[in-house]
Amino acid sequence: MRPSYFINFMMGIYIFIFFAYLFGPLIIMSITAFNSAEFPSITPWECFSFRWFNEGKIAYDGQHLAGLLSDWRLHDGIISSLIIGAGVVTLSVPIGMAAAIVLTQVRSQLRDIYYSISIMPVLFPGVIIGISTVVLWDRIAGLGGEGFIADIGRNGIFLTILAQTCFISTYCFLIFVARLQRFDQTQEEAALDLGASQTQVFFKILVPYLSPAIASAAVIAFLFSFENYNTTVFSILSDQTLTTVIASKVRLGISPALSALALTIIALTIIAAVTYEVLRRRAEKRYAESQEKFVKEKAADNRINKKYKAGFKIPKGIAAILLIVVFATYGATQVVKNDLYGQSCIDAADKEKKSKFLEQLQTLESNELTDEELSGGSLGGNQDYGDIFGDPSLFQDFGGFD
Amino acid sequence: MSADVELSDVSVTFGSFYAAKNVNVKVNGGEFFSFLGPSGCGKTTLLRAISGFQEPSEGKVLIDNKDMSGIGPNKRPTALIFQNLALFPLMSVSENIAFSLEVRGVSKEERKKRADELLELIALEGQGDKKVHQLSGGQKQRVAIARALAVEPKVLLLDEPLSALDLKLRQRMRTELREIQKRVNITFIYITHDQGEALTMSDRIAVMNEGELEQIGKCDEVYNNPLTPFVATFVGENNPLYGKVTGIEGDKAKIETADGQYLATMNESKKLNIGDESIAFVRPESLFIPRDGDNFDNKIDVNIESFEFEGNLKNFYASLKSGAKIKFSVPNAIDTSSITSGSSIVLGFESSKSVILPKASLAID
Repeated sequence: MRPSYFINFMMGIYIFIFFAYLFGPLIIMSITAFNSAEFPSITPWECFSFRWFNEGKIAYDGQHLAGLLSDWRLHDGIISSLIIGAGVVTLSVPIGMAAAIVLTQVRSQLRDIYYSISIMPVLFPGVIIGISTVVLWDRIAGLGGEGFIADIGRNGIFLTILAQTCFISTYCFLIFVARLQRFDQTQEEAALDLGASQTQVFFKILVPYLSPAIASAAVIAFLFSFENYNTTVFSILSDQTLTTVIASKVRLGISPALSALALTIIALTIIAAVTYEVLRRRAEKRYAESQEKFVKEKAADNRINKKYKAGFKIPKGIAAILLIVVFATYGATQVVKNDLYGQSCIDAADKEKKSKFLEQLQTLESNELTDEELSGGSLGGNQDYGDIFGDPSLFQDFGGFD
Repeated sequence: MSADVELSDVSVTFGSFYAAKNVNVKVNGGEFFSFLGPSGCGKTTLLRAISGFQEPSEGKVLIDNKDMSGIGPNKRPTALIFQNLALFPLMSVSENIAFSLEVRGVSKEERKKRADELLELIALEGQGDKKVHQLSGGQKQRVAIARALAVEPKVLLLDEPLSALDLKLRQRMRTELREIQKRVNITFIYITHDQGEALTMSDRIAVMNEGELEQIGKCDEVYNNPLTPFVATFVGENNPLYGKVTGIEGDKAKIETADGQYLATMNESKKLNIGDESIAFVRPESLFIPRDGDNFDNKIDVNIESFEFEGNLKNFYASLKSGAKIKFSVPNAIDTSSITSGSSIVLGFESSKSVILPKASLAID
């Protein structure tokens, strides 16, 4: 075996472990979204079902477990997260852009100081930004008695937009700085010289040049805002965003509806990324074709007009795709073979759980001590405690009070 | 259409540094005028003062006899062609050319018509829809000129626009620039460090050194009658002969050097007295190998050191007795096979072809 093969092999293993570490939890979580059991789990597998994406279920003890579609708190959270995201984008992108443009105008001695101050909000803990925003606006709201100021000063969504903008505008700033560093400032001078006003220079030269940065700053600002927790949890006050809803749910015990939500977000992200990539490649191809046409027009030389035969190429990720297909097929056959899908399976599982639950309830009731027994027995010694709780093995199959 | 440009006592300072010092120039309307000087001599600063990007610290810029102080670059009747051209990469060629019309609110049809006219002027018909990066270097150059001409400026300012081009293209663009200038008949102010460019294109040139004007004049005037040792050595090549004035005969002065006495012509405005430290200059092409019957005012004994073939010329590097170096050029057509390195020969030159000036620093030091 040649050493390069060995190195490639080890590299492959390393990459596999790396990606397994990165995506493993997401994959497991996504699978649990399709298990009908009340806890997110793969084993034991109950039934294959989409219930956590839809209505959720009424548990055998009568409790309602909300699915993705029926969870209104989640919906409210998503809506306020979207509102906040939009607000943060509209504030941070202009602020970041303005700050970056100022950086190109200041003298070199001042530039370092200005830059350090500008990126400082990124270094602050988000918790502090959240708390300080609340404290400041509480004071401001307290100044004028009742009225508009008092209202917005105690509006969680407004405060969250401000608090998040504090540090998200810095990320936008960094994106704009990177783009502006490659800007040829003589273009501005040329436009001025040709009679453009400063406003026209800004809108006709600078903004078109910055438009890719504006787009990526907007996307990044939105994503940062959408997933932010530690600033939001303070500044949101009595409202809820998606992240705070999820956090409060986790505190009460997680449900597979969260797995369903996670899978939905992952799917949306992947679709968006793939769409972007496809569009980008298409534009690139179009550009390359126009360039090629241009070159061909210029050069009458036939050698570069040679046509290349389009051959079928094996995609590089074939091994990974095969692996996924094999696992998916295996999982699907297991589910089908053992009849672990459909309404009948769910009904059967519910029935079984319900009967088990009733059985346990009966056992508990029969083991219940009478008042006399309680008052008559001595309270010392482990023996007595054992009696109070009955047989500990009874609790083993009990699914919990969810 | 064209306008006079006058710089009156213009100084530009950056802190305590004078980028330009007391510059007085009057450029006539319709003239092709060049500022020539080494890099860092302040010529670009002057151009920026004319175009309005740099307010003079002292003095005034007058265009068409109107004081331009306080008037921004977008309000002046000038157009600047940048060293890097500064074409707008996100716009098509036509959009680039019509940009100045667009910002003035000219209608789309009008803009298209004007852009097509200008594309024809620069011989790029039908290429208006191309992107800037699809053009070659020379084409970009011409687009930059068309863009500057679109607003019909009274003065066109050019900041070393040819320096990025290769030699052949540069030579062709020189002719083209000159032709365009004649066709549109507006004032061209050209900045360059390349004396070849300045001499071939300009009506008049101004030679600058360290922020100050050394000489203004017609090309041949500056070349043949330099006013300072700097101009003598910066514009074209010159051999300096250091010495003291020992005698004056009319407009000629006799200079005593370590290698002998030579006669050279004095400049009318730079009269010398006996005993003055001075330099006589003689150009490589004015030094001749005497043939029978030739009678030169001055003779020099030299020792050939090396030889260089340039194509149309053959350059010889020689040393004098005192160790001073001298260069002379012989047209390729003349047979010089007898002159080899190490041989001693006598060279001659006419006093009318040699200039004597008070001692000052040269351009090549």
